[in-house]
Order: sequence, then structure tokens, then C-alpha cells
Amino acid sequence: MQASGFQEIVLAVEHLTVYQETYMAVQDVSFVLPAGTDTAIVGPNGAGKTTLVQAVLGILPHQGGTVTLLGKPLSRRGYLAFQVRQQVAYLPQSFLFDRRIPMTVAELVGLGWDQLKLQLPWIDNRRRRFAVEGALYRVGATHLLEQFISGLSGGEMKRVLLAYCLVRPRRLLILDEALSGLDVQGESDFYELLYELKREEGWTILQISHDLDMVRRHCDRVLCLNRGLLCQGEPEVALSPENLFAAYGSAFVRYRHHH
Amino acid sequence: MFGELTHIVELFQFPFMQRALLGGIMTGCTGGLLGSFTILRQLSFFSDALGHSALLGISLGLLFGINPSLILLPFAIVFALGVTYLLERTRLWTDALLNIIYSASLAIAIIILSFVGHYKGGLTNLLFGDILAVGEQDLITSGILLLITTIFIGLTVRIQMLITLCEPLAIARGVPVTIHRTVFIVLLSLVVGVSIKAIGVLLVSAFIVIPACTARLLSRRFFSYIPLSAGIGASSAVVGMVCSAAFNLPSGPSIVAIQLGFFLTATLRGLFSAQSPT
Repeated sequence: MQASGFQEIVLAVEHLTVYQETYMAVQDVSFVLPAGTDTAIVGPNGAGKTTLVQAVLGILPHQGGTVTLLGKPLSRRGYLAFQVRQQVAYLPQSFLFDRRIPMTVAELVGLGWDQLKLQLPWIDNRRRRFAVEGALYRVGATHLLEQFISGLSGGEMKRVLLAYCLVRPRRLLILDEALSGLDVQGESDFYELLYELKREEGWTILQISHDLDMVRRHCDRVLCLNRGLLCQGEPEVALSPENLFAAYGSAFVRYRHHH
Repeated sequence: MFGELTHIVELFQFPFMQRALLGGIMTGCTGGLLGSFTILRQLSFFSDALGHSALLGISLGLLFGINPSLILLPFAIVFALGVTYLLERTRLWTDALLNIIYSASLAIAIIILSFVGHYKGGLTNLLFGDILAVGEQDLITSGILLLITTIFIGLTVRIQMLITLCEPLAIARGVPVTIHRTVFIVLLSLVVGVSIKAIGVLLVSAFIVIPACTARLLSRRFFSYIPLSAGIGASSAVVGMVCSAAFNLPSGPSIVAIQLGFFLTATLRGLFSAQSPT
């Protein structure tokens, strides 16, 4: 926490280096996320984007550098204080879990509310239910409450996952291409909803995205990643043709100019 | 028909039958509880390999003159943890590796048993189960195991749900996934080890897998799916035991046949109901 007058730093990453076996997947990356900002990570496939966010969350261990979330350090092996964990929500890449798992929307969103401590299953049922109904109402999905997750459409699933993030107050949302596989119409609706909630909740967002137009429209900052950090800054600067060329190579820049 | 009924009622007077019933209820419950997570985590084949390896444990006990009941459970735990470690380290496919492990342990066990002359006759009982073999000590072990499993699942059910749904999501929420996975594997190997006597090494995994699949066909709500799986496990074990005693059939295959009966009924119900396919 910083003194008033300064913008609070939600996430600080310094010289982060992550190896996957012997391959250096993320090399000496440093950046900060001030509270309330929306930062996009862009870069070609295999650039280490998912590795970077998974290391920031402690899902993968890191070998060099430091990660500080809400003022608390993340250990090399991925331990982070529980109070901080509660304030961070993460949606993995194309969250395609096994739809054969028997679960209702209420049960899934309820998992987002839970403290995940040792407790009897029926404890806090009423409070959980209240929070779940409230979260589903805010994403316009009240009617899905008792639906089975096996029957949801892609767009409905995204709303349900947003409710999973929303069901408890959070400070930081980390989205790994949370929208891939959604039709264009549904995508713009979803972003509208996401940014409305972001304003209301005061979320800070870190998201991986391939949609550079969306990034230009919505994001405050962009990180261009290709193992190392090639550039960072406001979208107009970071997504200039020169920087895109450096990140993606010539083919991608030609593609962007023709479309 | 009436004669058969009297015969069954008479059977209940025997202590061995009462033990078998009680044992069936308890192991059926435990198998159903753990099985409900086992099938969702796609560990069904793993439980099969555990069952086959139990024979190796028993045969080693016989070879070295140690009571097989004493060696079985420690062996099952060590074996399960060893296999888990191997699966995480190897670059081979899980099902291929498990196939190697269970055929190899079966082969080695049969070879060892051929040296233990007096146990040759007992091989069928080991492979297919024997309700007469369920003793008081086994009932106590089963009871403790059911208690531990119920408490463990009861206190961590939402954690288990999140791990089952998506491991990275659970890690991001601060769940010590490795510890939970290990505890689950240990419990699974214990329940397989305890169930071996009545069900037999070849069929024990059916005890874990079939009732859970039946429950999955009948329910898509997690909090009814788990108790349903335990209930189906217990009731098919009881019905199977009774049939086994009444018609003098091997107990393991009888239980599995009953489990299959429940499963097919659930499948037919799914086919004929107006609901979307499950």
C-alpha cells in the first residue's frame, strides 16, 4: 500500500525469469499494474504469455526476480498469503473444462465465493446462495442459476465465469484469453459488461489478448512480450507498426495493414 | 421360489453373512465416495492398476511368511505413491504406462504364488473374491476407512470440486493441490486394498468406477451425485453379496453383475427420458 496521492500498485513484477525445464520461457520481465488500470499482454504464440501470468499467480514456480501482489511477496515456489489470494480472480485460457462433470451454475459460482478452508459442506449455505444470486443478477444470468454447466452456450459460460469472479470483492482480475471461441457479437456485449463491472468494482485487470483492436479501444497499457518484454506503454505507442514488427515479425504487420 | 427366500433368510443367521453384509455396505459406500471423484479425474485405469498390484503385495507376503493382511495396505500406499511419481516424471502416455504396471505386477505375482505351494487353491479367491474371507478385523478396517473418507470428503468437498474442475484455477486460489492429490491417492489405494478380499483383485476397480458412472447418469448436480454414488455402491454390494450366498456364486462377480444391472437401468432411463442426452 502506498500513501495517498500516489496510485496504489496492485501488482509489481521485477526481473521475473521463468524456466520450463531447461527452456527460458520468460526472461527478465518487469512491469507494474497501478490500481484500476487495464493492461493487455500481446505477443505471438509461444511468446510466454500464459507462462508469465501463471508465474505471477504462483501456478508455475519462478527462478529469478520478484512478484509482489497487493504488497505481499510471492515465494519462488508459488506461496502467497491467503488474504491476497482471495482478492485475485483468474480465468485460465479458453476455460474448457470437462463438460461431463456434473455441476450446476449455482455450484460453480459458489466455488468462487468459498474460502476453500476445511469446513462442513452446509456451513454458510444461505450467505453463499445470496452472494451467488447477486453475482448472477449482475451479469444478467439469473435464469441460469439451476442450469447444468453441460448445457451452457459459450456466451452463457463466459457470463457465469464472470459471476465466479464477481461473487466476492476482488482487486485484480487475470484473464488468459478469456474470450477466445466466442462469436463477435457476444464478444462486444461481454466487453461492455466487463468494463461496466470494472468501473463499479474498481477492478485492476491483466489480460492476455490477440484482439489488438479491442486492446486499442479499452486498455490503458500494453506489454509486448516475446520471452522478454519488447516494449510497454500506452496502446498507441506500444502497438505502433515498429513495435508490432519487433514482436510479431513482418508477416503480422502486413496482415494488420490489409485488414 | 419360496424355498429360495427361506434359504436367504436362513443365511442371514450366519455370522459370516452378517459380516459380509456389513462389510459390503461399508466398502460400497467408501468405493462410491472416492469413485465419484476418481472417474471425473480420469483415474479409473489407475484404480485398476492398484487392484492388480494388490496381488503382488499379497504374494510377497506369502513368500516371506508375513500375514498378507498386514502387508497389503502399506504395500498399496507405497505402490500408489510410486506409480504417481512415475506418471508425473515420465514422458510416456498414462494409459500405456499403467498397462505395463498392472500386467507386470500380475505376472510377477502369479510367478511368486507358484512357489507358495499351499496357496495355489486360493488363487481363484484372490482373483474373484470370497465373502467367507471377510473377518472381524477387516470390518474394523473398513469402518475406520469409511469414517476417514467421509470426514475428508465432507470437509474438503468444495476444494475437491475445484481441483476436479480445473487444477490451475485451484492453485490460483491457494489450494495445496499436490497435498490433496496425494491424500486422495492414498485413500483410494487403501479402499482398493481393503476391498480385495471380498471382490478380488481383478474386479475391485469396478467397485470404484461403475456405481459412480451410474450416479453420473442419474444426476448432474454435484451435491446429489456424490451421496448417490455412495448409496449405489453400498446397495449393489449388499444385493451382490446376498445373491452370491444364495446361489453359491463367487462374490466379486456377483457384485459387479448387480452394479452392471443398476448401470444399464440408469442408461435406459437416460435413453427414454425427454431430457437432453447426458
